[in-house]
Amino acid sequence: MNTYLQELEKKSIAIIREAKAQFKNPAVLWSTGKDSTATVWLCKKAFFGKIPFPVIHIDTSYKFPEIYEFRDRIAKEWNLNLIIAKNEKALKEGMSPEKGRLKCCTALKTEALKNLIKERKFDALILAIRRDEHGIRAKERYYSPRDENFRWNYKDQPAELWDLYVKPSEDFSHMRVHPILHWTELDVWEYVKQEGLPVNPLYFAKNGKRYRSLGCKPCTVPIPSNAKTIDEIIEEIKTSKIPERAGRAQDKEKAYMMQKLRSLGYM
Amino acid sequence: MIILALDALDLKMVKKFNCKNLMQKEYGQTDISDFTQPRTVVLWASFLTGKNMEKQIPIKTQWNFQLSPEQTFLKYFEKYKTIDVPAFSFKQQNHATERKLLKGYFEDKATIEEYDEIIWRNHEENKKEFFEAIGKFNLVMGYFNLADAIGHLSFGITEKMAEVYNELDSIAKEIKNLDNILIISDHGMKAVGRYGDHSENGFYSSNHNLGLHIPKITSFYELIRKVAENEHA
Repeated sequence: MNTYLQELEKKSIAIIREAKAQFKNPAVLWSTGKDSTATVWLCKKAFFGKIPFPVIHIDTSYKFPEIYEFRDRIAKEWNLNLIIAKNEKALKEGMSPEKGRLKCCTALKTEALKNLIKERKFDALILAIRRDEHGIRAKERYYSPRDENFRWNYKDQPAELWDLYVKPSEDFSHMRVHPILHWTELDVWEYVKQEGLPVNPLYFAKNGKRYRSLGCKPCTVPIPSNAKTIDEIIEEIKTSKIPERAGRAQDKEKAYMMQKLRSLGYM
Repeated sequence: MIILALDALDLKMVKKFNCKNLMQKEYGQTDISDFTQPRTVVLWASFLTGKNMEKQIPIKTQWNFQLSPEQTFLKYFEKYKTIDVPAFSFKQQNHATERKLLKGYFEDKATIEEYDEIIWRNHEENKKEFFEAIGKFNLVMGYFNLADAIGHLSFGITEKMAEVYNELDSIAKEIKNLDNILIISDHGMKAVGRYGDHSENGFYSSNHNLGLHIPKITSFYELIRKVAENEHA
């Protein structure tokens, strides 16, 4: 085993076990992308094969068919306690990306998760975000408290010295736990290769294009690529200068700005 | 009198890039909290008329909204020239192209580079007209949307914004020795990651001591009227 990846894995497993010990009702979010699949795998390893808490998949109903197929297959193979969160009310009322990407994401992702947290009283959510993904994520901590509206005050976070992850005694609705925060995109792919993890076929190039980050079908575009294997993806990432989330049209800042400019009458 | 109307010019950025010519004898922020939204056309129409024009200008048709000279302080000047002023002499075709590219950027049909190129081209056109008009009219009001248009897509890119503010400062430098200068913006700008959103404080600057303290954008109407009266006297 690669000792660097071993160190990453050790730290992540310690964080996951710590979260299980500190919180009464945790759960792990799983989009079926490479990062969250690696995180679910780390949860499995942390508890010797059987994850002792639910795995949540937020289903907007606009995902790629490959995502649903992958989700159902792996959930069965890994014996996951899978919860599918869906904002049925918003979908019945006709919510779709055509109503505005930010509005759609808020209704079908954020609200769906909010409702589920309320219903199942989850006090900690394990998420597969990484600091290298985006500027704002670089400010994240391993333990990140959120209020009932999912607000996060990055200017007021406890220090996490000597790998001590402490939950605040009050003023939070649930805790976000980020066990792979210190990983990079390349680390994840090298770990996927090392562990032989299953990979959504959308990541592999077809006709000169592949998806580097998975989201909803109408709002995600592929990047030009000829990487058809994990090794080729690793080589591509080593030399790429394109940001990982470049293909994600629902990049929140961009979506927010589009909405704002629309409201100001620019579009 | 010269009015340099700079869309989205922000005091923090003026200071950040040390734009000495934009910071004249008196300068500071304006207060636009009376408006529910910092909308460009509404704010310029309110500046021109001295009245809050928010209710009269619906969002959908705002870009086509047009004031008559009688509704504005322009009527007090014998000879005036306005260049690309929203709600008055707005260059519809130029700005429609800009907005089309802006929309195209969000729909992945146009690049920031294509958008920036048009913005700078339109800016140069306005700049040429502005300098040609100086000295030929009692009032010249030139509108430049560089800080707003570039800022919306690139406010977080320091190099780009430095270029924009240096350019606007260089225009202010060219006119700084003339009499009765007012530099005014409709609103400021705040960062949303790499993008820029309208903020609720505008900017003003004058080569006279006006004795203002966070004035409203509508407060300048009276001051401009007095300048016109003094010119007649």
